[in-house]
Amino acid sequence: MKWGMAIELKRCIGCYECVLACKAEHFLPPEIFWNRVLIGESGKYPQVTKLIYNVRCNQCADPACVKACPTGATYQREDGIVVIDEDKCVGCRYCMIACPYQMRTIYEDDNKQYFPGQELTEHEKVGKELYPHQPGVVQKCVFCKERIDSGMAMGLTPGVDREATPACVISCPTKAIHFGDLDDSSSEIRRLIKEKHGHPFHPEYDTDPSIYYID
Amino acid sequence: MIQTKPYDFMVKYTPQRDWIEGHGILIAFALFFGGISGGLYLASLYFDSMLGMFVAWILAMVTGMTDMAHLSKPMRFWRMLLKPRTSWISRGFIFIWLFLGCAAVQLALSYWLPGTAAETAFKVLAGIMAFGVAIYSGFVVGFVGAIKLWNSAIVPILFVVAGLTGGLAILVLSMLGDSALVGDVAAIMRIVVIGYAIAVVIYFWVATYESTAARDSVTRIIQGSIAPVFWIGVVLLGIVIPIILLFTSSAAAALAVAAVCAIVGGVALRYVILKAGVYSPLLPAD
Repeated sequence: MKWGMAIELKRCIGCYECVLACKAEHFLPPEIFWNRVLIGESGKYPQVTKLIYNVRCNQCADPACVKACPTGATYQREDGIVVIDEDKCVGCRYCMIACPYQMRTIYEDDNKQYFPGQELTEHEKVGKELYPHQPGVVQKCVFCKERIDSGMAMGLTPGVDREATPACVISCPTKAIHFGDLDDSSSEIRRLIKEKHGHPFHPEYDTDPSIYYID
Repeated sequence: MIQTKPYDFMVKYTPQRDWIEGHGILIAFALFFGGISGGLYLASLYFDSMLGMFVAWILAMVTGMTDMAHLSKPMRFWRMLLKPRTSWISRGFIFIWLFLGCAAVQLALSYWLPGTAAETAFKVLAGIMAFGVAIYSGFVVGFVGAIKLWNSAIVPILFVVAGLTGGLAILVLSMLGDSALVGDVAAIMRIVVIGYAIAVVIYFWVATYESTAARDSVTRIIQGSIAPVFWIGVVLLGIVIPIILLFTSSAAAALAVAAVCAIVGGVALRYVILKAGVYSPLLPAD
């Protein structure tokens, strides 16, 4: 089993809902993003193409971050998800330096709040209880592993059942993001990647990403 | 840094900041101290300088402490010994600890039991570890495929030669009172500084052919915001002044100035390389 994503670029409208859903799901503090929407352009007027790419940790099969980590805090689960053990991370930032996609962030200041000088919002207060972030350690997208693990424990199928699927996937209003098992030849995601010629983002980095983009 | 435009991310050459800004500057010093510690120990072995070996041991300690001071969780430092199989930081940390142990035993043997087989054995062991301490920082940087300026096989060689230059400079300073011996050290330093200058030129020259990202880095170094540090620190203080002084004078004052300039140039080199590292854009912005 190897979890992966396929993102249909023509369906993405750049609404940032996936970014917000991720922020809400993980109670991400200010200035921390686990996924992003990149907006670029190619070509010259009048033949200009606007490029919108929703990006996050690629959960690479050959991840530079895992090799770089000197403590073993960053490791790969059997299902391919690259995770960080917050209690083992020393905050050397080598994994952040090594990631060619720059999809890792260090959470440094535990006192930052969304509305400085005012009280914490209810969401922030709840977040500190339910999903505490350890200051001084590196964070990144983990494909909502909590949803996957709890969903599978209930007999649900990630990518099919809402409760077992990453928040960014289920929040996408245009259904541009697909999730599933890349090792399952009968899965929807495998069919999509095969039929629509999905390709990883910047394969030249040689890290074998588990996220595929469909033009 | 507050990111007011979340979409304005990785759409142009993006400088790495984590290992140079704020307390990330400590990494530049850690790379520098590691290099000169190893270089000084190896040079001290050659010239049989107990003082040099002792200073090298102190500098290795400073390297480890600088590395640890950079960590967000310094009390977990021992965990950095656990991943030598793939991580160059882990390997380097192990080299530092082994060097500290071997060199401490060697210094004790050289003081109390000089001329014994055990002393020779520990000199060899500590010398191997010192080489590891000098070269590992080059591999830490060279491993990073995401930053094309760094991802070069020349970096470890450059860092070792730079470490030797700095180590010899410290040895010169420690031997200023002995004109015969300091002359011998200066003679070796002349050759090493020339080698260092060649390594610097080859490194940046080859980088311009590596990729557009590496070329962007070199442009920043030569004519961008980093240029003053490069031209004054790396070129003038680190290469030109030491070469002129070492080749034209054997006066103690001239050698001292040459040594201090070479040491400052070594710090500038690490700063420039770290500061100029950029990531390639994920998307074209224009």
